[in-house]
Amino acid sequence: MCMLSIATLVSAGLHPVSGEPRHCRNDSLAMTLGLQLAESIGAEIKVLHAGDENNPALPNYLALNAKKIDVISVASGANIVDSLATNLANTELILTGTRAEDGEDSGLLPYLLAAKLNIPLVANALAIKPIENGIEILQFLPKGKRRSVTVKLPAVVVVHPLAPIELRFAFAQQVSGQIVAHTAQNQSKTSSSKQIQWQIQAAINKPKKLKAQENKSGHERMLAYIASENKGGAVVNEGSSVEKAQVILSYLREHHLINF
Amino acid sequence: MTDNHNNRINPRRPFKGTASGLNRIVLTTAPRLNEAPHAKPIRNSQKNNAEQASILVISHSDRGMLDDHARQTVSAAAILANEATNITVVALILGDLRENIASCGADKVIVMPEFSFEKFQPDLELANITAVIERLNPIKILMPDNFIGDGDLGRRLIASQHTKTAATHVIEIDSLHAASPHAAGRKIAFTELPHIILLAADAADTNLPFIGSATIQPTIQSSTQVENTNNQQKSVSPYQNLGLKTIASEQVALEEADLIVSAGNGVSNVETFERLALALDAAIGASRVAVDDGKFSRDKQIGASGKTVTASTYIAIGISGAVQHLQGIKDCRHVIAINRDNSAPIVKRADLSIIGDAEAIMQALINAVAEAKSLSLQEAACACYLLLR
Ligand SMILES: Cc1cc2nc3c(=O)[nH]c(=O)nc-3n(C[C@H](O)[C@H](O)[C@H](O)COP(=O)(O)OP(=O)(O)OC[C@H]3O[C@@H](n4cnc5c(N)ncnc54)[C@H](O)[C@@H]3O)c2cc1C
Ligand SMILES: Nc1ncnc2c1ncn2[C@@H]1O[C@H](COP(=O)(O)O)[C@@H](O)[C@H]1O
Repeated sequence: MCMLSIATLVSAGLHPVSGEPRHCRNDSLAMTLGLQLAESIGAEIKVLHAGDENNPALPNYLALNAKKIDVISVASGANIVDSLATNLANTELILTGTRAEDGEDSGLLPYLLAAKLNIPLVANALAIKPIENGIEILQFLPKGKRRSVTVKLPAVVVVHPLAPIELRFAFAQQVSGQIVAHTAQNQSKTSSSKQIQWQIQAAINKPKKLKAQENKSGHERMLAYIASENKGGAVVNEGSSVEKAQVILSYLREHHLINF
Repeated sequence: MTDNHNNRINPRRPFKGTASGLNRIVLTTAPRLNEAPHAKPIRNSQKNNAEQASILVISHSDRGMLDDHARQTVSAAAILANEATNITVVALILGDLRENIASCGADKVIVMPEFSFEKFQPDLELANITAVIERLNPIKILMPDNFIGDGDLGRRLIASQHTKTAATHVIEIDSLHAASPHAAGRKIAFTELPHIILLAADAADTNLPFIGSATIQPTIQSSTQVENTNNQQKSVSPYQNLGLKTIASEQVALEEADLIVSAGNGVSNVETFERLALALDAAIGASRVAVDDGKFSRDKQIGASGKTVTASTYIAIGISGAVQHLQGIKDCRHVIAINRDNSAPIVKRADLSIIGDAEAIMQALINAVAEAKSLSLQEAACACYLLLR
C-alpha cells in the first residue's frame, strides 16, 4: 500500500443543552477513524479546522488523540470552502462529519468542497478499508441495510454518526498536543454557493407543520371526525387459524414486505 | 352541489325511543362510516400545457412505494402549489413505483426505475435529474432529507447548482418561508423560501383535501440520452458497488429494524413467539406489560417509555394498543394485529387485524412461512433448471 495523505476536518461543537463549546461528536468519530486508518497503513494525517485557533472547543480534539490541529484562521463570515480547498489540494483522502453543530449545520460543506476540488464523495461511511488504488467503504442505509462501495482516490468521505467507533479522552494528550494557526492563503468573501440570508431566533416553539387549508362545513368536519374514529384496516374474524395465517402471509406478500 | 345534497341530514331520519324521549341523533349508519372516504376533487384539473410552471419533487422509492417522508414532501409541494394556483406538481421517482401517488397530490409522475436506492450511482443520478430540471425549469425543487439517498443526492445537486438558493434539514415551511435548526438545534433560522429545499421528516401533513391527477409521463428521451453519454464515462465512474447486505435482525437495533414482531400480555408462550420471529427474520419487541412480567428484557419495550420504532411492518401479538404503546409505533407503515378481542384499540390502528387466539395463529403462521419458503426455494430451483436446459 502506497503512502496516503489523509486530512480530517473538525468543526467546533456545542453542547445541545448547555451550549458550552465542546468537540463535535460526529467530527470526532471521523477524526478517530482517520487516526486509526493512518496508523494501520502508516499514512500521514492532518487534523484541520477553519476558524479561530483560540476556540475552546479545539483542545477537546487533542484530548481525543490528535497530536496537532492545524487551524486556518478565517474571519467569521469569510468563505471557508475556498480556504479549505486550497489547503487540501494535494490530499488524497478527506474525512468529514455529517453535520456540524455550531452554525448552519447544513451538512453541505463536504459536498461544496468535493465540487470545488472536483473529486468524488461518498457519504454515510461506517468503516473504511484501503484497497488497491482506492478505498472500500461500508455505507449506512436505514432498516438494517449496509452497502459496500469502492471509490478511487482522491475523495471526500463523510462519516455517519452511527460509525462504530469508541472515543477515548486523555487529559495528558490535551496538554501535550498543539494547536497551530495558519493564515488563509486565498481569502475570498464571495462564496462558492449562493449565500442565503438567515434570520436566527432561539428555538422555543415547536415547528409548525405545513397543512392544507380545508374549507369544510361543520357537518363535514364532524363526519370526518367520527369517520376517523372508526378508522382501521381489514378485520378478519372468521376462519381457522391456518386460513388466518394465510391472510397475514398474503398481506405481507402483496405489499412486498417479505421476499419468499 | 348535488354532492352537498347527499350530505344533508334526512329530517325524517329513523329515531329511537329512549327513557329521555326521542333520540334522533342517528347521523349515519355504521356501514356508511366504513365506506371509502368521499372521492376528493382533483386539485389542478385543467389540461396541463407544457409552459405551466411546476414544482419538482425528487425522491427514491422503497420497494415500489414512497415512504412517509417522501409522501410528506410530495404533499408539501402540492400544498404550496395550491396556494400559488395553476402550478403542476411533478414527482420524479428514482426506483420503481407500484402505487398510485395521486393521494399525495402529484400531478405528473416521472419514474426512473433504474435508480433504485439500493445501488450507489450518484453521478448517474445527478446527471439524469439535472437533465429533467433543465427541461422542466421548475420554480422550486423539494426533496426529502433522508438517509436512503435523497439527502445525499440533494446535497450533490445543491453543490452543482451553486447559483440557486438552497436550504437543508428544513423543519418548517410555508408559501413564503423555510426554517432550519441552527447551532445543534438550539436556534431556529428562517429564510425566504429558497429554490432547492431538503425537507426534514414530519414537516408537512399528508392529509390533503384534494388529489393530484398523477399521470405517468412516458420515459423521456433525454433521460436515456444522458445515460448514453454517461455510458462512455461509466468505465471511469469513480464509484463501484460491491453489494448490499442486510444485518441479521437480532443484531439490528430495534429502532432501525424493518420488520418487528411484538408481544404483549396475550402471548403466553414466549418460545412459540421467538420461533415466529426467527421464521420471519424479524426483530423482537414487547409491550410494557410483557416486559414487566419478565418475559423480555427492558431494551425490547416499545412505546412512550420505551423505544420509538420505524419498521415498515409491525406485527402486534396480544397487545391491546394502549396510547402509550401506540406512540412508539406511530411511524410504522403496516401494522398487523393478532388479538382475540376485536374491540381492542390496536384494531383501529392496524391495517390488518386477525381476531383469534395468539398461540394458535402463531403456530399456523410459522408453518405457513416454512411452507412458503420451501416453495419459493423449489421455484428458484425450477427456474435454474429451466435456464440451464
Ligand atoms: C406513564 C406510562 C407509560 C407507559 N409506557 C408504555 C410503553 O412505553 N410501552 C407500553 O407498551 N406500554 C406502556 N404503558 C402501559 C400501557 O398503558 C398498557 O398498560 C400496556 O401497553 C398494555 O400492554 P398489553 O397490551 O401487552 O397488555 P393488555 O392491556 O393486558 O392487553 C393484552 C391484549 O392481549 C389480548 N389477548 C389476551 N390473551 C390473548 C390470546 N390468547 N390471544 C390473542 N390475544 C390475547 C387481549 O385481548 C388484550 O387486547 C405505559 C403506561 C403509563 C401509565
Ligand atoms: N469550520 C470548519 N472547519 C473544519 N471543518 C468543518 C468546519 N465546518 C464544518 N466542517 C466539516 O464539515 C462537516 C459538515 O459541516 P456543515 O456543512 O457545516 O454541517 C462537519 O462535520 C465538519 O467535518
